[in-house]
Amino acid sequence: MKNLEAIAAALPNQQTVEYPSFKLVIVGDGGTGKTTFVKRHLTGEFEKKYEPTIGVEVHPLDFFTNCGKLRFYCWDTAGQEKFGGLRDGYYIHGNCAIIMFDVTARLTYKNVPTWHRDLCRVCENIPIVLCGNKVDVKNRQVKAKQVTFHRKKNLQYYEISAKSNYNFEKPFLYLARKLAGDPNLHFVESPALAPPEVQIDLAAQAHYTPSVLYLTFVFAAGNFNSHEAELAAAASQPLPDDDDDTFEACTLCSLKRKELLGICQKMKNLSTMTALMHK
Amino acid sequence: MDDVEKAILISFDESGAIDSALKSQAVSFCQQIKETPTLCRLCIEKLCFCRLVQVQFWCLQTLHEVIRVKYALLGLEEKDFIRKSVFSMCCFEAIDDQNNNAVRILEGGPAFIKNKLAQVFVTLVYFEYPLIWSSVFVDFLPHLRKGAVVIDMFCRILNALDDELISLDYPRTPEEMGVAGRVKDAMRQQCIAQIVKVWYDIVSMYRNSDPDLCSSVLDSMRRYISWIDIGLIVNDLFIPLLFQLVLVDGGSEQLQGAGAGCLLAVVSKRMDHQSKLSILQSLQINRVFGLVTGDSDSELVSKVAALITGYAVEVLECYKRVNTEDAKGVSLELLNEVLPSVFFVMRNCEVDTSFSTVQFLSCYVATMKSLSPLREKQLHHVRQILEVICVQIRYDPIYRDNLDMLDKIGREEEERMVEFRKDLFVLLRSVGRVAPDVTQIFIGNSLASSISSVSERNVEEVEASLSLLYALGESLSDEAIKTGSGLLSELVPNLLSTRFPCHSNRLVALVYLETITRYIKFVQENTHYVPMVLAAFLDERGIHHPNFHVSRRASYLFMRVVKLLKAKLVPFIESILQSLQDTVARFTTMNHTSNEFSGSEDGSHIFEVSYDTCRDYSQAIGLLIGMEDVPSEKQSDYLSSLLTPLCHQVTVEILLINANVLNPEESPVKIANIQQVIMAINALSKGFSERLVTASRPAIGVMFKKTLDVLLQILVVFPKIESLRNKVTSFIHRMVDTLGASVFPYLPKALGQLLAESEPKEMVGFLVLLNQLICKFNTAVHDIVEEVFPAIAGRIFSIIPTEVLPSGHGTNSEEIRELQELQKTFYTFLHVITTHDLSSVFLSPKSRGYLDKMMQLLLHSACNHKDILMRKACVQIFIRLIKDWCTRPYGEEKVPGFQRFIIDGFATNCCFDSALDKSFEFHDANTLILFGEIVLAQKVMYEKFGDDFLAHFVTKCFTYCPRDLAAQYCQKLQGNDMKALRSFYQSLMENLRLQQNGNLVFR
Repeated sequence: MKNLEAIAAALPNQQTVEYPSFKLVIVGDGGTGKTTFVKRHLTGEFEKKYEPTIGVEVHPLDFFTNCGKLRFYCWDTAGQEKFGGLRDGYYIHGNCAIIMFDVTARLTYKNVPTWHRDLCRVCENIPIVLCGNKVDVKNRQVKAKQVTFHRKKNLQYYEISAKSNYNFEKPFLYLARKLAGDPNLHFVESPALAPPEVQIDLAAQAHYTPSVLYLTFVFAAGNFNSHEAELAAAASQPLPDDDDDTFEACTLCSLKRKELLGICQKMKNLSTMTALMHK
Repeated sequence: MDDVEKAILISFDESGAIDSALKSQAVSFCQQIKETPTLCRLCIEKLCFCRLVQVQFWCLQTLHEVIRVKYALLGLEEKDFIRKSVFSMCCFEAIDDQNNNAVRILEGGPAFIKNKLAQVFVTLVYFEYPLIWSSVFVDFLPHLRKGAVVIDMFCRILNALDDELISLDYPRTPEEMGVAGRVKDAMRQQCIAQIVKVWYDIVSMYRNSDPDLCSSVLDSMRRYISWIDIGLIVNDLFIPLLFQLVLVDGGSEQLQGAGAGCLLAVVSKRMDHQSKLSILQSLQINRVFGLVTGDSDSELVSKVAALITGYAVEVLECYKRVNTEDAKGVSLELLNEVLPSVFFVMRNCEVDTSFSTVQFLSCYVATMKSLSPLREKQLHHVRQILEVICVQIRYDPIYRDNLDMLDKIGREEEERMVEFRKDLFVLLRSVGRVAPDVTQIFIGNSLASSISSVSERNVEEVEASLSLLYALGESLSDEAIKTGSGLLSELVPNLLSTRFPCHSNRLVALVYLETITRYIKFVQENTHYVPMVLAAFLDERGIHHPNFHVSRRASYLFMRVVKLLKAKLVPFIESILQSLQDTVARFTTMNHTSNEFSGSEDGSHIFEVSYDTCRDYSQAIGLLIGMEDVPSEKQSDYLSSLLTPLCHQVTVEILLINANVLNPEESPVKIANIQQVIMAINALSKGFSERLVTASRPAIGVMFKKTLDVLLQILVVFPKIESLRNKVTSFIHRMVDTLGASVFPYLPKALGQLLAESEPKEMVGFLVLLNQLICKFNTAVHDIVEEVFPAIAGRIFSIIPTEVLPSGHGTNSEEIRELQELQKTFYTFLHVITTHDLSSVFLSPKSRGYLDKMMQLLLHSACNHKDILMRKACVQIFIRLIKDWCTRPYGEEKVPGFQRFIIDGFATNCCFDSALDKSFEFHDANTLILFGEIVLAQKVMYEKFGDDFLAHFVTKCFTYCPRDLAAQYCQKLQGNDMKALRSFYQSLMENLRLQQNGNLVFR
């Protein structure tokens, strides 16, 4: 395994601490959470108030690896053009980079290729991580499956949530491994992070759709049925608690698999009926 | 160093060493320079003489900005100067030949300066090519003779042109798209042939001396192939050159890879399929097949792999699209030629990211559908596909321990794999459809070989084979499983009798049980396998598995198996109960210690597990012993052996808590115990049908009644503990179902206790129970409902406001939600009462006092509730009440004042005003249904009140309408055509809205 220090020394970067340090450039559209992300490392705190970054802010973040301590100088650059300062001038001598977008704002993902191009113009062949931030938010617009850019350009992709610390250390770990040329490098100590603001519940996210479906069903169920059917529905109203098959399908909205299927079937009928009614 | 250079250096410095005042001074100084008229001159001058990269970068960035933003404002002379200077810099000319200090930035400068320069150059091309500076490319070409430095710069310029202007990978404005089209057209016409010629010459000349340079040239060329005349590349010169480069032995891998990249671009170019096919055929791609067998981690192998897969995709596409028999034959031949290499790549290489294995194979399998019966060649490919699936779904052994313990890494890996497998299993399904026999044989063999394999990957192989078998089962029809079609009649018994050496592994044990459950319908038909199934579930492969994740899942699956097989299990009940004895003993004499329930993460986890498990066992046992086939005496014994200790436990716990002998920490534990007992009893009772309990075996009914008695005691002792209340309520629900009408004697006590609490949430639970009772027993529960209704109404009206519940911002609190829920349930309750002929309940002396309030609330909601379905329910309640309480026209009034209220209030406010309001959306399906009810209500009112209603309604509502409309309304109302009435009334409302134009003047 190569010596981290030697690698860092060989890179064009000012050494200001006695352990290896790397310049990490963070780019992405304004409001995607770059500043929030770097401030999770306990040099700062999560700020709900959004204040656009002017030019650049450099945060030194230390990590402890099995090969020793290392520092990322995180260049948190302005996402908004009007606050740009030197813009791609800040990328000069970058050793690695993070491109951030916001999974709840499609446009920020559309702009990722442009950020990547601008970055690569100045920093040829550096390791880059693509980060989809804000995955804790319920109505995401960019689904994990739609994120394909990293595959074309050979980047690493992580879904993160700065607010909840979810996957915070992943990008740094990946970059440290790439820079050290050691796939087995690992952090021996987790960095001190600000306490999570929200608890991320990915399972809940996965179940979000069925429960919405369920609600829609409940709303719709009464509609097209006659009185009789409605009464039947009331009679067979699921009794509270102790349902046996629940976790077979959806623990969150306590729907059984069969019920879910039934609902889907109903939804289909529903749309045809609505279509008929509007004729 | 002059001031400008100093200021630039300082503004670039982020080390924190610069005084902030000085820094902002420097920044604003640089800003001032940007305002000076000689800015461009200054930048170019600095570029010629200054060696500081920050200064060079700043100057290029500034130039770029000026050209991009202010091009139209620049003078002709200035443009000319910029153009000449930039061109000279790119061509390695010194701008100022007189000065010996001149800097040539291509010389030794860092890559990012050259790239920035290329960007500036391309920005000029954007504005000036082809109209102003038509010779830009043609002028450049002669300079390439100067050698590598200029060639490298030329490549950077072409790459920048692609990145900044042409490539479709970036979001572009329509204007940029227009410019890109213009530039491409001009280049096609003017110079691209020359450029291709130059590429060819450079690569031929430098291939041995400077392979890196040639790679750069080919990498740029690759970007252009998609839009230039393909004949420039596909000819007797270039294609042989590219193959030579790729196939050269011991050359530069990078150059080989670049060549492969160009070939891939040729192969992928969009064009008509017939011409494409000729090109594909002419390439003789099989020449590169050997290259993928090298070191699978190398860049070259992945590039060649991408070429092969890309080629295969195109061939398959051609096969699908071409029409002539001839062309079909050719493409099929090419496909058969390339497929073995594709399979090799899928199994051994990292596949190119733009290539989707599943998509390609699915597409290929889809073409097979038209080929049945399949020929040997295709069957061979099917086996290959199955092999690929089998390899890809296999876990990596390095995660074995993580997966077994299910730690964080294991959990992530499992989630990833579950997601990853989805598409592959879809593919498996289509393969199974095209070639069912081959698929079953393959899975059978894979299972057999994984059983006998001693490889280190054994665990993962077994897991993968079982998962395949499971996935196959997902795609089979019930009928196929029942009859054991094909190989299944061998596979399933094999599965049942197998004990894998790695059965202790969590994943193996889980998928084993899941697979058995998946094929249980086969056992249903072949009952001699029942003992084997039971063994699998009851021994250490199932509920006695050491890993609690497995035993927990086993308990659930066992319950499902019992549900399906129960009739076949009668002879085994004794032995099943025997096997379950230890587990059952755990919950019949359960005693959670306080540390188990201390709230520590692990403690509560285990608690939850035993909770689920206990429920599943209870239900399974209930299903078994609740069957009518079980002899009566046995049944009583079994049941009482379970119920007696469970009830006893409740009694003891109650005594303990009541006697106050527990210290405070123990109470929650005891309550949890009671909760679990109730749940166990509840699950147990599910196996007993109403018929058995009430008709054929009344003794069993007595036992449940006794139990109900004990459990109702809980409500008396702990009226305030929500969790217990919920559990008991849910048991009452069950007993209503199981005991039928014989539950009546217990209801007063139960309802009385439940009614004692009046929090909104509890009230909702109580109303749901009443709804169940009414729906099940109809008018038989009249007295009970009449008894409790006044208390309910009193409670409700003291809790929920008779006006609307607050809505909008800031009201989304839990309390408001609870109130909304309660209101909704209350309307359902009223709806259920009226629709089950129980409206007389509202008229009992004790209830009468609430009638007025109730009517006001209903009317208000019928007109204003934000949930349209609630409005509909309210209207339906009114319709029903009108039918119940009003006899034929001019008959005696059953409820004095009701008719007046309906005509004055309901008819006007709900049937007319609320429907006239703009918020009443005729486009919304729900609203349309509400509208239907509103029209029906008018019809009913007319039937019941006759002209009384009509006269009032017409004078009140149609005053400012044209006379004939009112007449038409009357006519439609009196007629029998509901549909006509409805559509008339709808168009009436819509017309009135138009007239009214947003205000209510006309009324």
